[in-house]
Amino acid sequence: MRMSEPRRLHPVSAIANCLKQIKELIIPFLVFVVFGSRSDMFQLVISVVILAFVLISGILTWLRYTYRLEEGELRIEYGVFVRKKRYIPFERIQSLDLSEGILQRLFGLVKVKVETAGGSNEAEAVLTAVSKEEANSIKEIVFFAKRDSREKEDRAFEKGCEQILYKISLQELFLLASTSGGVGVVLSAVLAFVFQFEEFIPYEQIFRGIEDVVSDGIFFISIIIFIGFLIAWLIALIGTMIKYSGFTLIKKDEELIISRGLLEKRQLTIPLQRVQAVRISENLIRQPLGLCTVYMESAGGSNADKENAKVMALPVIKKNCVASLLSEHLADYELEPVIRQAPKRALGRYAVRGLLIVLPVIAALVTFFRPWGLLASIPILLLSFLWSFISYRDAGWNIHHQQLTLRYRTIIKNTVMMKRNKIQSLSMHESIFQRRGNLATIRASVLSGLGGSGGKVKDLDKEDVLASYKWYSYTK
Amino acid sequence: MVLEPQKRISAKALSVWRISGALLSIFAFLLAGGVIGLTIAFDWPMWIVGAALLFFAAFIYIFVMLIPSLKWRRWRYEVRENEIELMSGVIVIKRTLVPMIRVQHVDTRQGPLLRKYRLATVAISTAATVHEIPALEIDEAEELRFFISNLARVADEDV
Repeated sequence: MRMSEPRRLHPVSAIANCLKQIKELIIPFLVFVVFGSRSDMFQLVISVVILAFVLISGILTWLRYTYRLEEGELRIEYGVFVRKKRYIPFERIQSLDLSEGILQRLFGLVKVKVETAGGSNEAEAVLTAVSKEEANSIKEIVFFAKRDSREKEDRAFEKGCEQILYKISLQELFLLASTSGGVGVVLSAVLAFVFQFEEFIPYEQIFRGIEDVVSDGIFFISIIIFIGFLIAWLIALIGTMIKYSGFTLIKKDEELIISRGLLEKRQLTIPLQRVQAVRISENLIRQPLGLCTVYMESAGGSNADKENAKVMALPVIKKNCVASLLSEHLADYELEPVIRQAPKRALGRYAVRGLLIVLPVIAALVTFFRPWGLLASIPILLLSFLWSFISYRDAGWNIHHQQLTLRYRTIIKNTVMMKRNKIQSLSMHESIFQRRGNLATIRASVLSGLGGSGGKVKDLDKEDVLASYKWYSYTK
Repeated sequence: MVLEPQKRISAKALSVWRISGALLSIFAFLLAGGVIGLTIAFDWPMWIVGAALLFFAAFIYIFVMLIPSLKWRRWRYEVRENEIELMSGVIVIKRTLVPMIRVQHVDTRQGPLLRKYRLATVAISTAATVHEIPALEIDEAEELRFFISNLARVADEDV
């Protein structure tokens, strides 16, 4: 077998090591510089020592890190002071994820992440920088060996069959970015930043400025706020566009391969048999446009890599196109089940639940802002009723052969499709009030990454819930 | 129709829950005592003393008497050949099905209180969730653990 002699990573990984260490040290370092001793000389010496230490340890780490493919195992030996060996049998390797950071792209290299099914964080290995050819040959050797070991499976006809299922167009990319919830994230980041540095912001000066503006009328304030939103939205827009540019979904053999990213290219592989559930999400902006996002909950992976658990398979797509695009490849999933809604009598409970959430807010408004609080609480009440109503309308379920579908809304509307043999446990809840209305709540859990995920629908007809309960039960 | 699970947990669970309820009400005692002390020290109206006493009494009644017995009366479980079913809850009744083939491992656990009463909690883990049966007789808990892990192993090939 080739590649049995120990190899080093590309020297760039020494730089990557240094950068990583610097990134970790930057905060203590800044603290030291800002609050440290007064003597400049002392600070300089310490800084130089730290930098030298980082540099040397980065290089040593690189020098001592070798890998080889030998006797059906990926063998990695590393560690500067304590030598460590990690041998990963090929059969244990679930997937190899290739990604390219900026550093790697400069030199035409890739980062190879080795995913195993094991639970602990430590179970995986990362080859920080190897050339593309080498990454591919590693991939080939590993998967060739894996395939060899289960030779009996006749998959020759599928071999090398690569099929592009979806490639994002510029238009769709823009649509994705402009309808994502990222604006909220950027706004809250800005707010957090403002509160963090509140002390340093010269409010008096700003307010003096504002006083003038205010005298010019409320109109200008609205414009300033509007511009603020616009900027936040633009930042979110650009961020999302960079992240998802070139998004492609490829089916190869029994695997889905997702690649995306402009600055940092990421590639993700999910074996189809590891898909635990399919989730269709429609956020508030996309739903009226008939758009949705399709996720696949996938098993295994590592704690550190949350992204592998809930994989975005189709970032933005017309809802009525999902089935035609995916059903061929997710053959055992019924992607357009006929949803049975919650009964009419559940509407009252949804309304009450919405009220319970907003009531404290309204109470506070009315007591503390005497005349205007009452006025402000009217739209809040209306919003609450609206939300209750659409939540009620979206609640539903379906059982189709071996598949349970649950549809519910938190803020985003979710439709989760789960196979009976992938559901880890199923439960029904019945409160005193629900019992009076002959209603019940159903909850199904599936594995997602290393944790749980699934779906929960409130206030369905009790008979319906019992039917699903019975459907799931192994005691017939 | 799916039959509700039938087996009850150990009757000694009641005593254990009552004791933990009593331990919890130490906080209520401190709170009520503090309020009463302040009322006397600062000459606040006397109805506050009454309210504090009432609060303490209600707390004891709810956490020592009411909840443990409601909880115990509701708790049922059943281990069948293919699945485990649990039922519990005071205000919200919750029924859960855990198929044997989804069980990853089973643990038993004892705190000091449970140990004193020779009881144990059995925790059943699937890949995504953990389910507990509180307060079983220790022998029963052990037996159950063996039983489930044996069945789970047999069924494992089916995944």
